[in-house]
Order: sequence, then C-alpha cells, then structure tokens
Amino acid sequence: MKKSNTWFWLFLAPVLFALFAVVLLPLIYGIYYSFTDWNGITSSQFVGLKNYMNVFQTDSFMNALWFTVKFAVLSVISTNVIGLGLALIVTQKFKGNNFLRTVFFMPNLIGGLILGFIWQFIYIKAFAAVGNMLDVASLKTWLATPGTGFWGLVILMSWQYSGYIMVIYIAYLENVDRELIEAAEIDGANIWQRFIHITLPMIAPAFTVNLFLTLSNSFKLYDQNLSLTAGGPYNSTQMLAMDIYNTAFSSNQMALAQAKAVIFFAIVAAISLTQVYFSKKREVEL
Amino acid sequence: MKKKWFVAMLSLFLIFALSACSSSGSGSSGGKVTVDVFQYKVEFKNQFAHLVSQYKKVHPNVTINVTTVGGGSDYGAALKSKFASGSEPAIYNIGGPQDLHDWKGKLADLSDTQAAKDALPGTLAGVTEGKVVYGLPYNEEGYGLLYNKDVFKKAGIDPASIKSSADLANVAAELDQKKAQLGIQAVFAFPVKEQWVTGLHSSNVFLSPEFGENVSNAYKSKTVSFKYGQQFKQYIDLQQKYSVQPTASMDYATQVEQLFSNGKVAMIQQGDWVSTTIQGIDKNFEKNNVGLLPIPIDGYKTDSIPVGVPMYWAVNSNKDANTIKAAKDFLDWMNTSSQGKSIVLNDFQFIPAYKGYDASKIQDSIAKEVYSYAQKKKTIGWIFMGYPTGWGMNTLGADIQQYTSGKMSWNALEKDAENAWKTNRGQ
Repeated sequence: MKKSNTWFWLFLAPVLFALFAVVLLPLIYGIYYSFTDWNGITSSQFVGLKNYMNVFQTDSFMNALWFTVKFAVLSVISTNVIGLGLALIVTQKFKGNNFLRTVFFMPNLIGGLILGFIWQFIYIKAFAAVGNMLDVASLKTWLATPGTGFWGLVILMSWQYSGYIMVIYIAYLENVDRELIEAAEIDGANIWQRFIHITLPMIAPAFTVNLFLTLSNSFKLYDQNLSLTAGGPYNSTQMLAMDIYNTAFSSNQMALAQAKAVIFFAIVAAISLTQVYFSKKREVEL
Repeated sequence: MKKKWFVAMLSLFLIFALSACSSSGSGSSGGKVTVDVFQYKVEFKNQFAHLVSQYKKVHPNVTINVTTVGGGSDYGAALKSKFASGSEPAIYNIGGPQDLHDWKGKLADLSDTQAAKDALPGTLAGVTEGKVVYGLPYNEEGYGLLYNKDVFKKAGIDPASIKSSADLANVAAELDQKKAQLGIQAVFAFPVKEQWVTGLHSSNVFLSPEFGENVSNAYKSKTVSFKYGQQFKQYIDLQQKYSVQPTASMDYATQVEQLFSNGKVAMIQQGDWVSTTIQGIDKNFEKNNVGLLPIPIDGYKTDSIPVGVPMYWAVNSNKDANTIKAAKDFLDWMNTSSQGKSIVLNDFQFIPAYKGYDASKIQDSIAKEVYSYAQKKKTIGWIFMGYPTGWGMNTLGADIQQYTSGKMSWNALEKDAENAWKTNRGQ
C-alpha cells in the first residue's frame, strides 16, 4: 500500500509542478501586483486598496460588467436550449442522425478568432447584401450599432457552443432507462409529460455540467469579442476580459488592470460555484 | 508493465522540457557578440533579415537575432513580457515621449552615434531629453487625403484647386452629384471603426497647431483646448456625410482594399504605408492613379501634410558595454553606411529620416509625394505620440464613434476629451 502511494505522488508530481508554475504562481503574483503601482516594467511602491477603489469609479469596468452579465444570461439560455433541442433531434431514430451530429458539432472545431472574422463577414457583407436586395434598412447596419453588436455576439456564441453542449446532452439522453419511459407511457403519460417528468430529471447532471461550461465560457469570452466587434462601436460591446486587456496594454495601467482581473476572477468563481451547488442539489440519484 | 515505463519516461521528459525553457540569452564572450533585436515592423521582416545577413558578412564576430512582433499595442505588450521573462533584447523600439518615460533606466545614450548626428532636424524631438538622445528614427511617414486621379480627371476637377475646407466640401459635393457617371459608390470611405485613423491621425492634424507642432509640448501639456475644434468638426462631418455607410463598422481593409483600391471611392485619409496593400491588388493603380492631397486647416496651414517618425530604435542600457557598442554600430551601419543606405532606400522602401540619401530613388508613388512635401517644408508635425496613454484611441476615437452615430454632440465630445486629458495628466 505504501509503495503504491509513492508511485501515486511520483506520477502526479509533473502535473502538480506544472499547475503550480503556470496557474498558482501567476495568480499569487497577480494578487500581489494589484496592491502596487506596477506599470508592467517596474513596481515601486505598495498602494494598498487604491486600485480596487478606482476600479469601481471607472465607467468602463461597470459598463463592461453589465454588458457581460446581459450577454452571459442570454447566451447561456440560448446555447442550452438550442443544444438540448439538437440533442433531442439527433437521438431520434432516423437515417443520417450520425451525420447531423457531426455537422452540428463542427462549428466548435473552428477557433474563436476565425469564427469572429467569419461572422463579421456574414453580418457586415452578407446581411448588407440581403438588405440591399430586399431593401431592409435594419440589415445594412449590423455591428455598427451597440444593439446589433450585442446580438451578433449572442448568435455567434450560441452557434459555436450549441454543438458542443449537444454532445454532452446526447451522452446523458442515451443513458436514460427505456424502462422508465415505457412504464410512464403505460401509465398514460403523454410525450410532453414524459419529457418533463422523466427525461429532464434523469439528465439533470448534464445541466450542471453544461450550465457551468456555458456560464464560465461566456464570462471569459475574449477572442470572439475581439475579432467580431473589437469592443466597437464606441466601446459599447466591450466585455470584461477585453476591458482588462485594454486597461493593461493600451492604457498602460497594469496595476489597475490586475485589480480588475482579481475582481473578475472572484466574480466568475462565485457565480460558477453557486451555480454548481444549486444544480447539484437538483440531481436525482437512482 | 511497458505502459508504466512509458508514462515514467514521459513525465521525466516533461520535467526536462520545463527546466530547459529558462536558459539562453544574449551577451558577449571571447570577442563574439550576440545582439538580440526585438522590433515591430512586420512589413519589412524579410528585407530586414537580408540587411542582417549583409551586416554579418562585414562583421563576422557579431551575431544578430531578430524577433518581430507586429502591430501597435501588441508590440508594447510583447516587449514587456520579453523584459519580464529575463531575456532582455539589446535593441528594441520606442514610440515617443511616453515610452521614453516608461523605459527610462533601460535606455542607452545614443548621442555619440553617427546616425543621431545625421538625423533630419525635428525627427529626434520625441526621444531627446536635455541634450541626450535615446532613440534613432526608423523612417518618416506621412499621410493626407489619398485621391483617385482617374476619378478626379473624369469629373474635371483639378486637385490643386483645393485650398480651403470650403473648396474640399465643394469638390466632395460635386463628386457626389456625379457619382453614378463616375462609377463610384460614394466620395469618401470613412473608417470610424479604426480608432487610430480618427482618434490619432485625423485629430493630429487639428491638434498639432496648438502644441506648436512639437510632440514634447503635447506630452508636457496639462490640458488640450481644441483651438481648431470647429475645423476638425467640419472635416469629420464632411467625411461622414459623403462616405459609404455604415461608417461605424468600416475597417481598414474595407476602406483601403475593397473600396479605394477597386476605385469605388474618390478619397480616403491614409498614408504612404498603404502602398504595398494597394500594389497587392493592382500594381498599375498604385503607380499611376493615387495622388496625395493635404487636409486643409482654415486659419492655419491649408497646403501641408502631417509627416513624422512612427517608431524609434533604442538600445538596452542593461547590457554589457561590448553588446551596447555592437548594437550602436549596427544601427549606425544600417542608417549611415552606403551599403546600409541602399538597402533602406531600395529594399525597405523607406522615406529616409537621415541626411545623405539620394531621394530620387524612392520607388513608391505615395512615398515620393510625401517626400516632396517634406522637401518643400510643407509639413505638420506628428504629435499624437504625446497624447496621454490611450487618450487618442480609447477616448477621442470612441467619442468620434459616438458623435458620428448621433449619440453625442460635438461640444460634449470636446468636453469629454478635455476632461479625460486633464484627469490623465493630473496624476
């Protein structure tokens, strides 16, 4: 027993070391820098909580926070609804459902930056072309107004992640015991009742996983945001990650950005943990 | 059992790989010197490598390693990480007074180099403190209103007749009326999305006069007053009115490649750096069809274009004396030796910022025009490197986006920009 314990730690050591070096150490450094007047090159003195006070006085951070929350709520809902819908479709028995699974999953294989540029082309060029043909003015100004920028991001996010989320739902849907559904059918439950009362509770763990994934992904979104709108027009579609990056590298206020990043980390951690806690409670054990 | 061994070997390998990342650096030993160059200009990467190999032939003892990281803000971020990682480059780039302040203590005195003595008057203003020179200019760049000569000819407009903003407005109106017969979509392509075009370049034209066209004055100034704010407003209004819409989502590629290079618009505000892009689409168009017009400022200069130095070479003072000497020698050789000069002119296609170049050899047409403006001293100094950090793009550029979308009045824009400047400089 003792021997295998040494092996256990020995095998784990490289991973633990890597985790410490690339995750924990930078985190500790980052928290330390957020209390100084670091400018990216040198840090000369300790300034206490000054950076944290400044964070809440800058409009850009609060705007970005509000924008990100709106975005996260909408994209979590739409991604999960679409993902579950797709999963329900491809778990039906018909020809070509494997092909459809592949197709729906495909967007997730394209990198976020490239996706952003593809959708930028669709919104600006393709939408405008259709708008010119049908003479619909509202199709010609996509991404030029804050509203279209927001919906553009939500659509992009749903399109990219639905397929991924679908795969997880499929795994759980196929594990639902046929006997339970047949029993309910014999008891006279219709298709809707069977879905609500049998299938949904049985795939509750999938919700836990998927809500966590979509929630944290939409909060941390950066590359799609950068390539699709770059925060424009007039910084109205700037999400938290981008605001932090811009504070650090274009305004050169590294320490302030570090403080924002620490707050950002706390927010994402708090939201994700509460969500996992509450979703876990809803899961049924058989 | 075999599998276990494999995993053990793999983890050992990983540990080695991790520990191997931290050795290598520049320095000198036994007469051999290594100079690491960390530079921003992606466009001339290959030509620069050629220059380095030529230098190597004359100086076999010096090894020069070039790393190129391109594009405005990315370079600054990459340079900081490079310094933080411990492998500091010997030669790097700084942009102006703000960089000079930030990197102070890591900048070597370059006053004794030949290049500093040969630099054209005014080009060292942003990187000099007292009498000490900390940077050497890359080149000169200039911008203005690029126009499509063909369209102007067809419309019967003489570009030389534009002598005031009223003239410019009349020409724009005339072109707009004839746009169907000229085959253009609109008169201008106004890329409001690109905050550097509006917030840095356009604003520079109208803010430069109040700082005496001197970047250091702008950098030291506690306030900005928009003395030529009305003229600035007219210029923005004019482009917004006659541009291809929507402007808020128009980017550089749409402006230069899709619209201007394909003859879909008559005028754009850009500079000599677009030459290579236009050449990539239509060589003849670049050669014969692109002209450069000044942006008129009523009540100041109406016949001048902004010309300035985009970036400077700097040498890291933390390096040992040999490396610093080699770095300076390399920069001198590049900018002042006859071999170096010919590469700078013919291969880099730079507008030289140093004395002693045969300017008749400048190849691309926009650069030639910029150079002829510079020769006639019809220039406006670049001062946007002296703006408070982030002010030009994130404050003014974003405010102009709000203004052109009708979300902000011009007065509010000026107020907001003035306040942001004051807060930033008050600290």
